[in-house]
Amino acid sequence: MLDVYLAQQIVNGLSIGLVYALMAIGFTLIFGVLNVVNFAHGEVYMIGAFAGLMLITAAAPPLLAVVVIVLTVGAATGVGLERLAFKPFRRFRDEASLRSRAMREATLLSSLAVSIVTREAMRQIFGSSMQTIPQGYLLQHPIRIGVLSITDGDLIIFASSVVMLVALQFLLFRTRTGLSIRAVANSPLGAQFVGIDTDRAIMATFAIGSMLGATAGILVGLYTGTITPQMGFAPGIKAFVAMVMGGLSSIPGAVICALFLGVAESITTEFLASGWQDLVAYAFLIATLVFFPQGLFGVGRERA
Amino acid sequence: MSAASVPERGDHPTLPPAFAKALLALILFVAVPATLSGIGGGYLYQIATTALIFVILAASLNLVTGTAGLLSLGHAGFYGIGAYVAALLSTRLGASFLVTLPAAGAVAGAIGTLVALPTMRLVSIYFAVATLGIGEMIYVTLLNWTDFTRGPMGIRSIPDIEMLGWEPHSPMQQYLVVASVAAVSLWVLSRLTHSYFGNALRAVREDDQCASAMGLNVVHLKIVAFGASCCFAGIAGALLAHTANFISPDQFQFGESINILAMVVVGGLGSLPGAVIGALLLVILPEALRSVGDFRMIAIGSIMFFSILLLPKGLLGEASALSLLRRQFGEAWSGRPGPPVGWR
Repeated sequence: MLDVYLAQQIVNGLSIGLVYALMAIGFTLIFGVLNVVNFAHGEVYMIGAFAGLMLITAAAPPLLAVVVIVLTVGAATGVGLERLAFKPFRRFRDEASLRSRAMREATLLSSLAVSIVTREAMRQIFGSSMQTIPQGYLLQHPIRIGVLSITDGDLIIFASSVVMLVALQFLLFRTRTGLSIRAVANSPLGAQFVGIDTDRAIMATFAIGSMLGATAGILVGLYTGTITPQMGFAPGIKAFVAMVMGGLSSIPGAVICALFLGVAESITTEFLASGWQDLVAYAFLIATLVFFPQGLFGVGRERA
Repeated sequence: MSAASVPERGDHPTLPPAFAKALLALILFVAVPATLSGIGGGYLYQIATTALIFVILAASLNLVTGTAGLLSLGHAGFYGIGAYVAALLSTRLGASFLVTLPAAGAVAGAIGTLVALPTMRLVSIYFAVATLGIGEMIYVTLLNWTDFTRGPMGIRSIPDIEMLGWEPHSPMQQYLVVASVAAVSLWVLSRLTHSYFGNALRAVREDDQCASAMGLNVVHLKIVAFGASCCFAGIAGALLAHTANFISPDQFQFGESINILAMVVVGGLGSLPGAVIGALLLVILPEALRSVGDFRMIAIGSIMFFSILLLPKGLLGEASALSLLRRQFGEAWSGRPGPPVGWR
């Protein structure tokens, strides 16, 4: 007989894990296509939350409309981010510089710089304290299923994650845009040779990844009730960990590892003070890197 | 590496090496204190001390990230270890500065070496992620191990620097102590960077497989470089603990690692004078902007972004920094007869 408290913790962990998964997908998509880490992904998540909150306080539309508009804002943010922090560093297109470490680290550092500036600018504008969210929008109404108690937020996050995952699979494997994204991910130079507009494919990748990130931001903001300029940092790092554990370019791997991380964290709180739960994620990260350098679900990547 | 442009002797005007070193020492120990005392600020001395601490941090990160090409995102963790070792030793055991400073360096260096042992076989982004994880693990430990580190409250009233009964109370005396430690650290780091050891690290950075085929022990070199870098980060932490008298875990978070990285990037990855310039710029410029408002992190982020965009090599790129150092400080290049050593 499973301990009820433990089962409750696992359910909580799964809903945290889904949030990490939504962010990890964006990370993984962008890494798969550009082979760079987008450190500003956590800021997209934060901007999604703030955009949704501003919409709610201004017009109070139904939740579905909020999500749709946040999706658009996320796409726009993603495209803007790509223009600002990634496009200028693709000046050189020959194979040597595409593979060079310095170029890759330049975009890593530029996205880091953009994320710092965005976060601090938001802190200047909105202050670093928690924003107030109208009571009616908080996704915290308890629902009881048997002995387990969950909130409607858990269900909404779960449902929308599944919807977005399915939509993403459809997009990647059934549309021409998806085909071009996969082609660029496979080989940027080869994609150019067969006439694919790589810039457009990269932009589409950023738009899709950021849509998922921004939606995760507003849903989690409403679920936990905390929307702050620095809210993107911790889930961003966790999603990053999930991506690395899943093998850097495997979307299913990233999702599974994100769920695993979420559950592991919430079970940790049963044994240790809650402050230590972050340590678990990092310990898993180091263990994965040391014992499975390709990630748990990664295929052998070319050594770079 | 693109240091092919070794200038011919007599191409540029050069100072005698001893004179160039003396000039730098004169600026550090006489000109800066004189100017600061002239303007008359105890607060200015604090900024100068902070700047020197970050100079040590940036120079030590440059050894790993610039010279050896291992992107480390957890440098602040080792800085924190040094600070906590010094603070705990002096508050709990009453140890003097002469004990805490080497102890902080030794503990941070030892932990860095231990951490490096399993992670040094990772390449590129995997290594960066591993150091990020380690830096955050150190932060979480400092924050939550309340019995030992007092957690988020931090450690208060850490004793001032004290050496064999001499206690430098005035800001200028403290500055001079920090400046001496910084000068010695920079000298050691510069000897590490501009030697056969440094050249081996550059070879590893450019192509580790090729370097290992040439007979270099790649993993050993990386571990030694990482350990040395962490050791100096620990020394910087001890200086912070004794000059600021208060430390808390928040000072050693991921953001601080990024600050230090930004200094190295702005100055030019792989260039030791560049790291020094970057550290001075990124500490002093935000202080100058303080009157405008608290835009410190925005300033740092923007400087970092534009320097990557417009000056990909940094303010003083590696190649030019190396040839400058050879001209001004390399005894074997000054035309004086002597045993042939160095990069030829």
